[in-house]
Amino acid sequence: MHMSDALVSPTVAAVAGTASLLLLGTALRKLRPASGMHAAPEANERIVPLMGVTGAFVFAAQMINFAVPGTGSSGHIVGGILLSAILGPWAALLTLSSVLVLQCLLFADGGLLALGCNIFNMAVLSCLAAYPLVYRPIAGRSTSPGRIFAASLAASVAGLELGALAVTAETVASGITALPFGRFLLFMLPIHLAIGIGEGIATGTVLCAVQRYRPELLAGRRNEKQTGKTLAAIALAALVVGGSFSWIASSRPDGLEWSIERTAADPEIEAQPDGAHRTAAALQQRTAALPDYDTSAAGLVGCGVILLAAWGGTRLLRTRRRQA
Amino acid sequence: MKNRLQYALCELETLENSARTESPLQRLDARSKLLTTVVFLATMLSVPLTRLSEILLFALYPLLTAPLGGMRYGTILRRSLYVVPFAALIGVFNLFCDHQPALRIGTLAVTEGWVVFVSILLRGMLSVQALLVLIGSTGFFELCRGMQRLGMPHLFTVQLLFVYRYLHLLLDEALRLSWAREARSFGRRSFPLQVWGTLVAQLLVRTCDRAEQIHRAMLARGFKGRLPDGISPHNRWRRADTQFLAVWGAALLLARLTGPVETLTRLLP
Repeated sequence: MHMSDALVSPTVAAVAGTASLLLLGTALRKLRPASGMHAAPEANERIVPLMGVTGAFVFAAQMINFAVPGTGSSGHIVGGILLSAILGPWAALLTLSSVLVLQCLLFADGGLLALGCNIFNMAVLSCLAAYPLVYRPIAGRSTSPGRIFAASLAASVAGLELGALAVTAETVASGITALPFGRFLLFMLPIHLAIGIGEGIATGTVLCAVQRYRPELLAGRRNEKQTGKTLAAIALAALVVGGSFSWIASSRPDGLEWSIERTAADPEIEAQPDGAHRTAAALQQRTAALPDYDTSAAGLVGCGVILLAAWGGTRLLRTRRRQA
Repeated sequence: MKNRLQYALCELETLENSARTESPLQRLDARSKLLTTVVFLATMLSVPLTRLSEILLFALYPLLTAPLGGMRYGTILRRSLYVVPFAALIGVFNLFCDHQPALRIGTLAVTEGWVVFVSILLRGMLSVQALLVLIGSTGFFELCRGMQRLGMPHLFTVQLLFVYRYLHLLLDEALRLSWAREARSFGRRSFPLQVWGTLVAQLLVRTCDRAEQIHRAMLARGFKGRLPDGISPHNRWRRADTQFLAVWGAALLLARLTGPVETLTRLLP
């Protein structure tokens, strides 16, 4: 689900980045250990190392694959619900975001500009939407493995489907895919339903095992009260992002129409004034919405030559430096 | 056959080594490189998808900066190839939706869909290459420090450095767990769900215990919620940093705004 930079336009990246930054800022304010005279609440100070190490844990756990029963394939967890159940939603948001930043910078998994989108799709939607809205109401204060399992399953599916919806909206608003929104959604949602069920079963299995081995790890979260502020923040963020995307999408016609517009307005295919023959040819080109294709091919070739020359130059420099 | 954990550990090791190698790019300030990368991404990604040759021109940036950072472009190109399947999955629809011919090579007419498809792959690969040049010449610690000096909050830097530091440890622990399991189950690669759940839950419980120990150790050493500002050899913004940012920034913006390839080909007879 990591979006690559190839799939976002700078505008969409900026909008999603701003939304993610605002929410991360809120999370940081909530978790900042109070400094100076006021002693920090112990939980907050303790959460710094806990967040760090659980971030590394998610990284490692994602690399151990489990067999998906009956299919012969294997999967791994994303960890949003798992982290929320142990750390609480805001700390989980920070932890998961830091994991995403690391994956982007160290393993080039998901792009740098797309980081805002990725944090929103994977961390914000599962920690701040699926966890408080789905997991908490189902799991409640119960300690029964069945409830925990059901809550994990439902919340994971909800989180991933919301994520898939956001990925679709972001790709379409970026003008990358020629598929219309609805059909793209029909392609994305079923895939992520399957992934969500896998993720949910895995999360549920781990949480039930944690409940068996070390119930106090989950107990801390059980007593926290649900605040309306969280919900308001999510609703606001969703509104802002949804609104901006629909605005971007409507201000920019879909990729196909837009490219036709561009080629039709291209000065290169304006009729040239020597003879009826050329005019007719140009007219035919315009009605067929054809760009002057020989020029573009020449451009590609020229570009290739420049790149080859640059590459050759760096090679020459390297060998000279080695000889020196 | 290496498993993914070993692969990740090797990759981290390579990265650290590459970031420690002396090179002109490595001596630059992390902020300068980070900002240039952002300018590169923003300009490259805003080129319309139908202008393939202009996107191709942006390949000059990783091509020229990789040797400056003491890296081989070939290695970076190979590592950026892995992004191709993901980009292709999304781009492939354009092949079926967009049938107008866009350019002709000999007698072969290439449709607009193909041009857009190749553009999407190219965008993905180029952005990964720029990132690899950035991290390979900077290293994670310097990059975090750079981001902090650009205004990233302390708590988040601490979090990033924490995860990075314990990554090695936990990857190692996960590797030992999975080796132990592999040694006891003949030839089966992935884990049955129940075993996996137990294993990961054990890892999680141990992780939380470890966090407790780390917390006490940190308190004993006077931790107050933020990392002290260390002394780094790359602490000052030098003239070379300004030059790097200015030259590349101007070149990239010019390439984006004027479209030199189209202009040049128009000048040709």
